[in-house]
Amino acid sequence: MFKATFRSFLAHKGRMALSAIAVLLSVAFVSGTLIFTDTITKTFDDLFKSTAADVTVSQKSEQSDSDLAVTGQVKSIPVGTTDQVAKMPGVKAAHAAVSVENITVVDSKNKSVGPDGGAPTIGLNWYESDRSPVKITSGRVPQAAGEAVVDADTADRKKIKIGDSLRVIAAPGTTEVKVVGVATFTTTNPGATLVFLETAAAQKAFLGSTDKISDVELDAAPGVTHEQLKQTVSSQLGAGFEVKTKAEAAKDASDDIGTFINFMKYAMLGFAGVAVLVGIFLIFNTFQMLVAQRTRELGLMRAVGASGKQVKRSVVVEALLLGVVGSTLGLAAGFGLAIGLKALIQSFGMNLKGTSLVFNPATPIAAYSVGIIVTVLAAYIPARRAARISPMAALREASAPVQKPLRRRTVIGIVIAAIGVFGLVAAATASSAKNGGFMLVIGILMTLVSFVVLGPVLARTVIPWLGAGFPKLFGPMGKLSRDNSMRNPRRTGATAAALMIGVALVSGIAVFASSMNSSLSKQIDRSFGADFTVQGNSGGPMGPDIYQTVKGAEGVGTPVRARLLPDVEVTYPDGQTSKDQVNAVDKGFDSVWKLKYTAGDASQVGTPGSIVLDEQAAKDHGVGVGGTVKVTFPGGKSVDAKVVALREHVKGGLQFGFGNIPTLPISTLEEVAPDVQDFLIFANAAPGADKSAVSEKLEATLDPFPQVSVRDQADYKELVQGQIKVLLYMIYGLLGLAIIIAILGVINTLALSVVERTREIGLMRAIGASRRQIRRMIRLESIVIAVFGALVGLVLGLSWGVTAQRLLSEQGLEVLTIPWGTVVTVVIASAVVGLLAALLPALRASRMNVLAAIASE
Amino acid sequence: MTTATAASKDANPRGTGIAARAQQLTKAYGDGETRVVALNAVDVEIARGQFTAIMGPSGSGKSTLMHCLAGLDTVSSGRSWIGDTEITGLKDKELTKLRRDNIGFIFQAFNLLPTLSALENITLPMDIAGRKPDQAWLDNVIDTVGLRDRLGHRPAELSGGQQQRVACARALASRPEIIFGDEPTGNLDSRAGAEVLGFLQRSVRELGQTIVMVTHDPNAASYADRVLFLADGSIVDEMHRPTSDAVLERMKRFDAARTS
Repeated sequence: MFKATFRSFLAHKGRMALSAIAVLLSVAFVSGTLIFTDTITKTFDDLFKSTAADVTVSQKSEQSDSDLAVTGQVKSIPVGTTDQVAKMPGVKAAHAAVSVENITVVDSKNKSVGPDGGAPTIGLNWYESDRSPVKITSGRVPQAAGEAVVDADTADRKKIKIGDSLRVIAAPGTTEVKVVGVATFTTTNPGATLVFLETAAAQKAFLGSTDKISDVELDAAPGVTHEQLKQTVSSQLGAGFEVKTKAEAAKDASDDIGTFINFMKYAMLGFAGVAVLVGIFLIFNTFQMLVAQRTRELGLMRAVGASGKQVKRSVVVEALLLGVVGSTLGLAAGFGLAIGLKALIQSFGMNLKGTSLVFNPATPIAAYSVGIIVTVLAAYIPARRAARISPMAALREASAPVQKPLRRRTVIGIVIAAIGVFGLVAAATASSAKNGGFMLVIGILMTLVSFVVLGPVLARTVIPWLGAGFPKLFGPMGKLSRDNSMRNPRRTGATAAALMIGVALVSGIAVFASSMNSSLSKQIDRSFGADFTVQGNSGGPMGPDIYQTVKGAEGVGTPVRARLLPDVEVTYPDGQTSKDQVNAVDKGFDSVWKLKYTAGDASQVGTPGSIVLDEQAAKDHGVGVGGTVKVTFPGGKSVDAKVVALREHVKGGLQFGFGNIPTLPISTLEEVAPDVQDFLIFANAAPGADKSAVSEKLEATLDPFPQVSVRDQADYKELVQGQIKVLLYMIYGLLGLAIIIAILGVINTLALSVVERTREIGLMRAIGASRRQIRRMIRLESIVIAVFGALVGLVLGLSWGVTAQRLLSEQGLEVLTIPWGTVVTVVIASAVVGLLAALLPALRASRMNVLAAIASE
Repeated sequence: MTTATAASKDANPRGTGIAARAQQLTKAYGDGETRVVALNAVDVEIARGQFTAIMGPSGSGKSTLMHCLAGLDTVSSGRSWIGDTEITGLKDKELTKLRRDNIGFIFQAFNLLPTLSALENITLPMDIAGRKPDQAWLDNVIDTVGLRDRLGHRPAELSGGQQQRVACARALASRPEIIFGDEPTGNLDSRAGAEVLGFLQRSVRELGQTIVMVTHDPNAASYADRVLFLADGSIVDEMHRPTSDAVLERMKRFDAARTS
């Protein structure tokens, strides 16, 4: 039996090959993702392990690194800590280290030399140790103030030579330096730009004072474990210091980069998911057709004594073979994909030279599981059908398989569709996003399943309408191709389903993304009251000199600053507290950023000693305008603030702006946390001044600050929408993948149709149809199937997208935008897909030898 | 070798001229030692307005002769014409056009496209050509084959005999120079077969059509005006106004020649 199975597998190589590609694509995405992320993870683990000191002492702070990135605060410890720690038992050596992220370094043309891909620029003090990730390869080490060393990758990329001047812009201010040396990474370069200064200069430039350092790096004496040393140091230093062992430091660093890797991982697995979903249909269809084609053969096997179970097993084994072959190829392709991803990430500045791909045992396990499970699952129904073939089938004339009526399928499909539509309607009208979300998932799943079930029925109802113009447009071939595509509605339905699912997913997300785009635009239109904003390019905070410059710029009225500070506790009169991020603004904020205030005087926002609360929070805690709350800042300082206004509560996470957090005046923050920097500066042209002229002048004035950009309302919109565009590009990538797999499916179906219709095509050729006409017939058939799939998919996807928008309209997704451009493109693209898929089958049909065709059995 | 040029000697009163002609037509498969000659320098003329049957034992080359005459198959050497057009040497495109406009076909089975109705099948060659059928003639043909009440049916809803009659009507509808039938009644029971043959005979006698039919059935051959006998790739004999018995007798001699 196995021999027969194996032979049959080989005999259908061509058809199997297309299915194998579908398996290959799914598996390649899974294994490529795993190999790549494992490689990156291991690379960074190694990097951090090799560069972290045995034990590191730094400032203890409740604020996370991302919090610090918002406030612009810099962690530091007193310089004396080094000597204090050096004397402790178990310490072999202690080095004072200065290390600050997110500084800006520009060349003499005022262009940033930092990485383009969003990786940080790190300022460090130069000191040599075994752990240094770099070594000097040309020039010399920085020995005095005004000297700097840059890493070689950056020097290459930005064409920096020894002797060039750079400006280093950090929180304390700007420092002019000259490059005296270039240092090359001895380990993986994670993509950052490194600038080394002499220690005292680094302290001044990055921390603002020679009394401060970032951390102390300790080497443990022989025989002392890192853990023991940590115990000793932390018990003797007391509060205010954070002591980490090498392992802890490496883990923390890895966790930071892990977020980024996870994002990539999930995006890639999304692709794998689409490939799997669409691939299942292709494989299912292939086996369905193979079984139908081999009805007589399988009947014969039954007649000579094979049991139904054996027949079923033979089909499943065939699927297993396909799964193994496809997975193996997919694994190999996954390697290729990982190499490609490595190259891609390298182009973003991460230097992974010399890193070899990591191949964990989990990778082949996942690859083969996905490949084999998908294939066997997809082949199971056809296998069961094969088992039911009666021995009589061997004796019957080979003819088109009897088509069972679609009545049962229609009824089941309509029931599921009704549940799905109910789910969608319930979701669209849901009162809470949580309940609605559940209904939306039910609705999406059920409508998807029902459309798959109803595929054949839809094919029979939609295609006549779709091809109504065909006889007129394309003559008899148009009519024939339309009729042919309806001949086996089950097959057409299953073939189109692959494209349908891809298009549905993608168009659903596209509606969501465009609605988000226009909703945010609308929100920006509504709230953006300033003429310009000034904001850090990496979203990072801005030092006081920028505010001063904006304020002093010609034609600019009084600017309004906004700052953010996390982990601020508010104690309400009822004794309850809440801990949240707060923002702090200058007076006049209400006019540059228009929000709805439900009580109090909005013009009082930002006046000293005031606070603005969210109306909901105020109601919950029984405090109103005129009431007083106590605000406690990180570090323990606290002030009393008088409520001057209440702001409307906004629901959900899609709101643009600062959310429902309390708003304090900047003056308060300057008292309790003077090192918090500006997050955003709003500016208006002075009354009577020409806006565009002011804008130009402001930009010129801010020239020495390349780390910030001036934006007007339109620029600001572009910035926000740019982030959504990334999402859209991913959607188009997914669509492309779905289309590729769907093409394979259509090719498969058409190729079989052509074989099945050999005699018919031969007859047409005999009575005078030209090769061109035959090709056109096949092409049109293919286009009909593809466009049908795309249209049905669009209907599904659009209804999902609209439902999601309705559901989230309260959460800020207020505008429904259907991307008609995309819709039209999808329909046209699907026709092109049909055209492409038909190329080979059409050629084959037209090349058919007339005599052989009419003479064949 | 008997040369079958004698159509004029026993001229059919309705026939004028030659509908198809072949000169030294040779068809061979393979090369060298494995070379098999299917047609061996056949000369033949098919008179216009005549019903010609080609007979012969299996492997005699009768189907090959028909395929070559109809331009469905290529020849190894020799020339052949449909009307005044030489078809040997024509490109596929021109051959296709010739088949479409000048030749009708009736095959043994699978004559009709299952997705088309009977009427659509009948007009298919003209649809393919983008021509409008001559309505009066079409009505005439449909009435002759007696299918008026079956025109809207799909082939699956028609009996075998009805299907072949639709095929005949299709072959006639475009008024081709010549119709080739390849065992047109091979799959039919004798009553349905007689119906189709009678109809073919009538279309020759009443409508002036030229028909060439390959058959192995002496009874079918008896409907023809003239029978050509093929053996081993050559025309070995011919018979005018054949009867079923005479043809059977002639065929028996082939069997005898073979067994002896």
